[in-house]
Amino acid sequence: METPAIPVPEARSAIPASLRGILPVLVALPVLALFQWLMSDAPFASYLLSVVGVNIILAVSLNIVNGMTGQFSIGHAGFMAVGAYIAGVMSLNLKDVALSFLPVAASDQVFFVASLLVGGLAAALCGFLVGLPSLRLRGDYLAIVTLGFGEIIRVVVQNTDAFGRALGLSGIPQTSTPAMVYFWVFLTVLVARRITGSSHGRSLWAIREDEVAAEAMGVDTTGYKVRAFVISSFFAGIAGGLFAHFVPIINPGSFTFVKSMEIVVMVVLGGLGSTTGAIVAATFLTLLPEGLRSLFSVLGAEGSLAQRVDQIRMPVYGLLLVVLMLARPQGLFGTKELWDVLPRWIPRKRKGLA
Amino acid sequence: MSALVQETKAEAGAPMLQADGVSIQFGGLKALTDFNLTVRQGDLLGLIGPNGAGKSTAFNVLTGVYQPTQGEVRVAGQRVNGWLPHQINHLGLARTFQNIRLFRALTALDNVKVACRAQGALHPEGVGLGTKVKGAFVNYRDWWRALLLTPRFQHEERELTQQAEHLLEVMGLSHRRDEEARNLPYGEQRRLEIARALGTQPKVLLLDEPAAGMNTREKADLMVLIRKLRDDFKLGVLVIEHDMKLVMGICEFITVLDHGETIARGAPAQVRSDRKVIEAYLGDSYLESHGGAA
Amino acid sequence: MAQLLQHLINGLAAGTIYALVALGYTMVYGVLKLINFAHGDVMMVGVYMGYATAFALGRDMRSSLVGVAAVFAVAMLGCALLGFLIERFAYRPLREKPRLTALITAIGISFALSYGFQLDLGFLPGAAPRAFPEVIEPVEWLVIGDRDVVVWNWQVISFGIAVVLMVSLQYLVFRTRFGRAMRAVSWDHRVAALMGIPTDRVIALTFMLSSALAAGAGLLYAIKDTSVSPLMGLYVGLKAFVAAVIGGIGHVPGAVIGGLVLGLVEEFVVGYAASTWRDAVAFGFLILVLLVKPGGLFGRVAAEKV
Repeated sequence: METPAIPVPEARSAIPASLRGILPVLVALPVLALFQWLMSDAPFASYLLSVVGVNIILAVSLNIVNGMTGQFSIGHAGFMAVGAYIAGVMSLNLKDVALSFLPVAASDQVFFVASLLVGGLAAALCGFLVGLPSLRLRGDYLAIVTLGFGEIIRVVVQNTDAFGRALGLSGIPQTSTPAMVYFWVFLTVLVARRITGSSHGRSLWAIREDEVAAEAMGVDTTGYKVRAFVISSFFAGIAGGLFAHFVPIINPGSFTFVKSMEIVVMVVLGGLGSTTGAIVAATFLTLLPEGLRSLFSVLGAEGSLAQRVDQIRMPVYGLLLVVLMLARPQGLFGTKELWDVLPRWIPRKRKGLA
Repeated sequence: MSALVQETKAEAGAPMLQADGVSIQFGGLKALTDFNLTVRQGDLLGLIGPNGAGKSTAFNVLTGVYQPTQGEVRVAGQRVNGWLPHQINHLGLARTFQNIRLFRALTALDNVKVACRAQGALHPEGVGLGTKVKGAFVNYRDWWRALLLTPRFQHEERELTQQAEHLLEVMGLSHRRDEEARNLPYGEQRRLEIARALGTQPKVLLLDEPAAGMNTREKADLMVLIRKLRDDFKLGVLVIEHDMKLVMGICEFITVLDHGETIARGAPAQVRSDRKVIEAYLGDSYLESHGGAA
Repeated sequence: MAQLLQHLINGLAAGTIYALVALGYTMVYGVLKLINFAHGDVMMVGVYMGYATAFALGRDMRSSLVGVAAVFAVAMLGCALLGFLIERFAYRPLREKPRLTALITAIGISFALSYGFQLDLGFLPGAAPRAFPEVIEPVEWLVIGDRDVVVWNWQVISFGIAVVLMVSLQYLVFRTRFGRAMRAVSWDHRVAALMGIPTDRVIALTFMLSSALAAGAGLLYAIKDTSVSPLMGLYVGLKAFVAAVIGGIGHVPGAVIGGLVLGLVEEFVVGYAASTWRDAVAFGFLILVLLVKPGGLFGRVAAEKV
């Protein structure tokens, strides 16, 4: 190996290099603990926040593929389903097992996390199997193949007794907590941000900008696309696993086209390539229908009006995509992050990736 | 000497890029027939020919965008038929594009950083299963380093920035460091493409019409720059160019293509007076009315 | 043996319908390099137009020859208009934008149509599948043995219509001025425009043609299935797209063969394995084809021009 003749300067940060990797986690844990303590008495708020959190994980992870890499997957719910069913079945089977050296609650959490990871890895494996053949080709095949993958998952679930067929799985231990959900939200965002700031992220952006040029500059485009897709699928699987542990029942109806499209709309609305955009859009689009629904029920409108909210969501999402593409294809933030678009009086980060 | 200067592992004078009887066919169309070329370190070669002669096709075959129907391409002694462009690039072959293909939304610095690799971070290359497994391992290790933000990763990132900043400086683009590539003026975009190609630490640099759209003054500067790059970075350079003055001015050896066939090769003076070359460029009628070649 | 023959007939009947829809994908992809995601949903709208027409005509009228012709004409013309509008107002403004923009728009239109038609708005029929009126009264056209093999009249008619449409399309693309213009646009629409070809008009006509074909195919499908639902476009459309990719997208005869292959494969899986796996077959097959022969049976993976 050759020694660089230009000396590489040491980091100018006050934080030691060895600490920077772990620091965000150290900050996040006490915050999450506080959050958990605050939420312990509010079941509906806990549920709602968990749904928001799961959608943030889905949107941020999909953004790694659709935003940063410029590919277009529209079957994210399929990977979510894989995670949900695998983690759900595992938890169901381990329901009565406990680690004797731990208190019961802690032991449950250990098994919960183990199920999540197994579900996530299963989803990542599916991502690899689906991504490899389709990502070698031009981008638009991915859209069809991922959509088809969602269908295959639905058919597999409906034909497998262990997954409860069309009826679904119920009785999965409800071990999820908002703190756990937001821990994974935090990890997803951290991973997305760190990818952006690394040579891997730059390679992904380069693929989005010009695949031929990226390949000519030594970027293994297929490899990077597949790895981005695998990471994205992993987090979709985690989101599914979390979801399975705080809703009473999961069935194939929870993971249809509709769910996939919802995530796509979040990413496109937030701005393809913007992590904070995905977070904002996911939060907004989750709370809006909930808000409208509660508003209608508070106003005493008959049940049909509240149902309308669900019914009308899909066509509205479809039209929203068309209108966005015609009028503002970059979405809310474009490829920028929240802090790049905030007003002047907040100190800005130096412009990195535009 | 800068860190970016590559010591060629092979002995000096060994061919870094070799095309041996390369032909390519698209359907029934022969885009390139029996193309031969050797580039050594320190060479400055030209590839010329009228529009549609197969110059860019030749570049695309050499860099792995197209697969040759016949013949063999060797880079640094390795036979690379069937390799992907990025694998060939890792062996030391870099290029620019005729129609500028920068990463338009990335800053100038990031454009170069995409191409740069940390010292010793070159991944094992090849098409065998063993190298693939090894490559996959290296890749996943690198991803984990980035995700965990290890001190080693942080050091490598700074190293990449250094390399890229140095290349921007060499190409006179330091003042554009944080500007998006799409906002640069045309001439600077062309220079940024060269900086980006140099980031991959090539042994051979292929320039596809580097002077297109430049004025006379810029062209003169470019000629000086190409020579300087060849010497400073110990490169072999192959230039496709329409501008005869530029090619004749800097290239030591010229290959002329027409309809995919090599119609002449030799020193500039020799090529300039070749009857076939004049025919190809100016047509038979020119020769008839002027009574033959000079 | 008789069973095999029966599956073969059913498979071919379904395959011709996929082939017709697949032709629309292939034609639009040919001229615009766009996967027209909304193609299947345009087809679905056409089927509803035919459905409304059939009801308007009344029971006696609709099964007469004139009635059937009217049902097809209304659906096909209506769809041609819809295809024109979508191209004019959604795709054309995006033609010079990155390809992803148009793809997202197409996905948006697809979902707006397929879920918009599920709304309970009075003038729309709502989410539930409806029985499609018997515009062609089913008659056994050919019976072999003790009902071992049955060929229905609508299978023969739909096969006939499909073949006629395909042959005329082949003629149109390769033997007419419009076809030549279409192929020129497909090669490079900017250069074609410079050569004096009215690119916009050619693209618009291609959309209208493909939408009309889809409407015809959709009606045949609805007659076969005796039902119509807002989501049929999504399913039939996706399978037809798979057929187009199997044949090699952009390749006209390839789309036909891809459709037939897919129809047969699906029929055999349903017949010999399990009918519940039917919907997974097409996509499993697609992934397989992309792995083994990424360009499809007849297409080639064209290296992007550098």
